[in-house]
Amino acid sequence: MAAKEVSSGVFEITERGGKQLATKNLVHGMSVYGEKLIEIEGCEYRIWNPKRSKLAAMVIKKFNIPIKRDSKVLYLGAASGTSVSHVSDIVSDGIVYAVEFSQRTMRDLIGLCDERPNIVPILADANRPQSYAHIVEEVDVIFQDVAQPNQSEIAAVNAKQFLKKDGHLLLSIKARSIDTAANPKKVFKDEVRKLENDFDVGFEVLDSRELMPFHEDHLGVMARVRN
Amino acid sequence: MKIITWFGTLTLDDGGKVVEWDMFSKDTDALAERLIQPKEADMDIPPAGFDIRAAAIECGFVASDDEYDNLLRDVSIRAAKKQISSGTPDMGIIQAVEALDDIDETANTLSERLAEWYGMYFPEVGLSSEPLARFVAKYGSRSNVSPDDRLYEKATSSMGAELTGLDEELVKGFAENICTLYDSRSRLEEYLVKSMETTAPNLVNIAGALIGARLVSMAGGLEKLARFPSSTIQVIGANRALFKHLRARAPSPKHGIIFNHPQIKNSPWWQRGKIARALAAKISLAVRMDVYSGGGLNESIKTELDAKIESIKATHPKPPKRESKGGSGKGKGEYKNKNKMQNKKAGGRR
Repeated sequence: MAAKEVSSGVFEITERGGKQLATKNLVHGMSVYGEKLIEIEGCEYRIWNPKRSKLAAMVIKKFNIPIKRDSKVLYLGAASGTSVSHVSDIVSDGIVYAVEFSQRTMRDLIGLCDERPNIVPILADANRPQSYAHIVEEVDVIFQDVAQPNQSEIAAVNAKQFLKKDGHLLLSIKARSIDTAANPKKVFKDEVRKLENDFDVGFEVLDSRELMPFHEDHLGVMARVRN
Repeated sequence: MKIITWFGTLTLDDGGKVVEWDMFSKDTDALAERLIQPKEADMDIPPAGFDIRAAAIECGFVASDDEYDNLLRDVSIRAAKKQISSGTPDMGIIQAVEALDDIDETANTLSERLAEWYGMYFPEVGLSSEPLARFVAKYGSRSNVSPDDRLYEKATSSMGAELTGLDEELVKGFAENICTLYDSRSRLEEYLVKSMETTAPNLVNIAGALIGARLVSMAGGLEKLARFPSSTIQVIGANRALFKHLRARAPSPKHGIIFNHPQIKNSPWWQRGKIARALAAKISLAVRMDVYSGGGLNESIKTELDAKIESIKATHPKPPKRESKGGSGKGKGEYKNKNKMQNKKAGGRR
């Protein structure tokens, strides 16, 4: 068994010929959602399944993930916190602001926050950044996985309020939640064009790739604010 | 400009520098309260690019980055816990509806098993589901059936095998378990009726308690249901048919779960779509009355609905004439010419 760092804090573990993604466990011995724990050379790793996480799929799809050890991350659409827990592993010296709108999933998320020192849970609507602007500071990375029809607008208003000038936006666009009927390729094109032109924050799209075969009809996008 | 942050209020000069500040007390619980309700008169949110962490340290609220992180984390967790613990009655209704569905599913599966199993010993019993479970739980072996039971004759002359000893104990116990499920089902229904009558009297008056509860559950809450347009209410529960309609050239669904309303179910097919539309319109009015005008039953909606349904029935007493072939029972004569590709059947309830 060997662990190779493929992106800051993200490791590729080779075990019996198979390769798996993993992050270094911040809380020793704790498995968050039933994922496997593997110990290599005194270090405990948590297996990270790309089918359950858009961000993990983006790592495998060779996005140059800008999240570092000391990054501040605003995570929109945190849900129950499966992916958030891995981001929390990666930013061991940073902080994750996890925004989620559903009370039900917030219940699980709070359980996770209780276990981990670097997650700040926020029960709020990502459409209204003004409702949490008194809590969240400027961040290095905004990760967004909200599956809303106005995704790109949500990204824009949040980037405007919270993203550092040289910060990055990571976005997972779900075609089916924007238009159930239209061709996904066309939806992706429209959304990227919107990101570039439609809002008072213009984005420069650095990279975009579909997240097949891990997530169907999802486009991963990495962008930064155009100055 | 005065801005509010989670740790205090700050006054900024035009250059964005903090010139005055008023820190809150450093009590986690009090800070959590403020976090949820930050609205204070003439306060702005921090301008984009303002470093609230640096401000907290500069104003002496916290001494270090670490302290900032820890305190903010504690306060946010406390605040989030406060926010999710405020349950409303419609949340109870949603859980009850889902529990009802789970029980139905389970009870059906178990009843089928019981029918197969007990059939070995008394194939002539002719009962199923709840009556069968009650029968088996009461008697066990058919040799115990009392002479005044109407199945006595059949029980004595049955060609089934003898049910004795351990087998009888097992089958009987199994049936008793199913009976408990049915008991709990009727308790849930009672609860739903009562709870719906107090939280949404007008909805109950128009749609009935159980359909009403189901609508609330599918919408995700009473208030959410009140915000739905009536066209949505008309097709809630017909998701598959609706998306097929939007995606392909399937006909639009006429009714979702409101189909179970006796006024629709018991009407002939060509009136159903029209009645569904009228019913949905009145349901959405009724829910809004329940949510926004605070209690009290208003009979006028019901009267109007009844009048409307009467007039639909009076103007469309006969089925519309069908066009040559295809006629797949869509009923909406006025749509036929417009959309000749109607021969695909929609997936859900139409």
